[in-house]
Amino acid sequence: MIELQGLTKTYAGKNVVEDVSMTLETGEFGVLIGPSGCGKSTTLKMINRLVPLSSGRIILNGDDVTELPAEQLRRRIGYAIQSTGLFPHWSVARNIATVPQLLKWSKSRIDDRVDELMAMFHLDPAEFRDKYPHQLSGGQAQRVGVARALAADPEVLLMDEPFGAVDPITREALQAEMRRVHGQTGKTIVFVTHDMDEALQLATRIALLNNGRLVQYDRPIEMMVKPADDFVREFFGQADLGLKLLSRRWVHQYQRPPSLTHHATLPGLDHCWRLDEAGRPIVLEGARLDDQHQHTDVRSEWIATPEMSMKEALSRMVWYRVMVLPVVDETGKLIGEVGMQGIMGIESDGGLHAGGPAS
Amino acid sequence: MSGVARSARQWRAASAGNGVLFLLIALLIALTLGMAQLEPLFRALFPDLGNPLYARDSFLNLMLAHIGLVLVSSLISVTIGIAAGLFVTRPVGREFEPMVSSLAAIGQTFPPAAVLAIAVPLAGFGFAPTIIALSLYGLLPVIQNTIAGLGTVPQTTLEAARGNGMSRWQILRRVELPLAMRVIIAGIRVSVIINIGTATIGSTVGAKSLGTPLIAGLVGNNLAYVIQGALLVGLLAIVTDLLFERLERRYSFGGQA
Repeated sequence: MIELQGLTKTYAGKNVVEDVSMTLETGEFGVLIGPSGCGKSTTLKMINRLVPLSSGRIILNGDDVTELPAEQLRRRIGYAIQSTGLFPHWSVARNIATVPQLLKWSKSRIDDRVDELMAMFHLDPAEFRDKYPHQLSGGQAQRVGVARALAADPEVLLMDEPFGAVDPITREALQAEMRRVHGQTGKTIVFVTHDMDEALQLATRIALLNNGRLVQYDRPIEMMVKPADDFVREFFGQADLGLKLLSRRWVHQYQRPPSLTHHATLPGLDHCWRLDEAGRPIVLEGARLDDQHQHTDVRSEWIATPEMSMKEALSRMVWYRVMVLPVVDETGKLIGEVGMQGIMGIESDGGLHAGGPAS
Repeated sequence: MSGVARSARQWRAASAGNGVLFLLIALLIALTLGMAQLEPLFRALFPDLGNPLYARDSFLNLMLAHIGLVLVSSLISVTIGIAAGLFVTRPVGREFEPMVSSLAAIGQTFPPAAVLAIAVPLAGFGFAPTIIALSLYGLLPVIQNTIAGLGTVPQTTLEAARGNGMSRWQILRRVELPLAMRVIIAGIRVSVIINIGTATIGSTVGAKSLGTPLIAGLVGNNLAYVIQGALLVGLLAIVTDLLFERLERRYSFGGQA
């Protein structure tokens, strides 16, 4: 867990970062985003004190590390930047071993750790150990950069626009890999980007900055459904971002218990499911877009499964003109339902931030 | 495939370079030890000269003395030059950079003969004033290249080094110096080559060097002495230059090569 308390950076009498406070629980993926010059990068660099703090405190897993010598602090915090940050005169293995060497790990322990990390990033040690950074592709170099940042198993991983210099296809692959690695390691990550798509793909929490101030800090979907002000609304309100976000959300995150009796749990949504003997849904009563009490036969075309993306679920709701979809398990048994209201955030329960597709 | 072909070509070029280097080293040693064997040749070339072979000292002694002068003065230039270059590229010394650069440049604009003339009343005749003149003269390329070499280290690399928890000293030793080394060595190479040539004038103030037969030849109008001295100085400079080229190549990393 990392806590930022009132971080402020003053250059020449001007506050470039002003009173930024936020808490990132262990295992969360926090993304700092905002227009250029908003102070997101400065904020990130204040965490490992590459930029000295003008005022404020940093609490790392309960320890106040504000006064800790910077070198010691940085060995507890991973740091990944664009691929040019690799040491060009060191092999891949030695680059990854940077922090373990500073921490004076034994050689065998370092070797084991390097192999483990290379395997995690799908870099064959036999092929890549002894290569030099200039022999790597942009994507490979970036993987090495992240592996280096993770080498000493840091408490927090900071990433400063790490995928800014690679082509879009490689970037997408790296983002998918980053989600997987985040799921595997459960690391707390603070990530800076100016790319909204990237933020939505990766973040469990988004911090939007503007003019050095934290405008809103929330789950991605809350930023969209409950923007704190017009700036947030505008920043997130570009074209199909809502749908993009839903394509990264899963039915099981929005699922709620099925309504089996006519009971208006939600305003304007009185409906119930009829089941067969095996517990499979056969009829939906109510919850049609046109008529609240019409009976609709359940057909396989508009059944949802927990692994389905919310974008697809929404598409089925719109196409078949129903407000709720039944969620069934592999045997076809009704295990829950998912509705329009859920997508709009009214019922966005704890499952939302529990992780991306990896979980 | 092209990579294989290229490395094969490089390898062939390198081995051809090795051949030339070994040949020149052999020639340098042979001439230093066996100049006397060439006496008939010089006698034939310069029939008017009563004494066509410099014999007041052995060429081996002169060669060793010359190398000694260059080694000591270069060691001083390199030590002071790199130290000054490092100092003015650290945060504490950054404001001294223009001053140090112009001081070193001034050192280079003085003709070495003038420096010798100033140094003799201060340090007497012989070895010491020559060392002073040569050290001053060799300082500029080392300082310049140390500053330039450290300047080529990318900011992102330095940021990564700091971000990964290296101390200033560790960054200097593990990242900055290795990455700047190629350019620094290029500066040392220029400095040493200049000094090999310039060391000959040390003989005008009594320092023993390969300049001794040269000066004697010029004074006594003995062209054979001049050729004998100049030949060895020239060969020494070429061999040294080739050796430095080899050393520099060791410190090229990928994109910088």
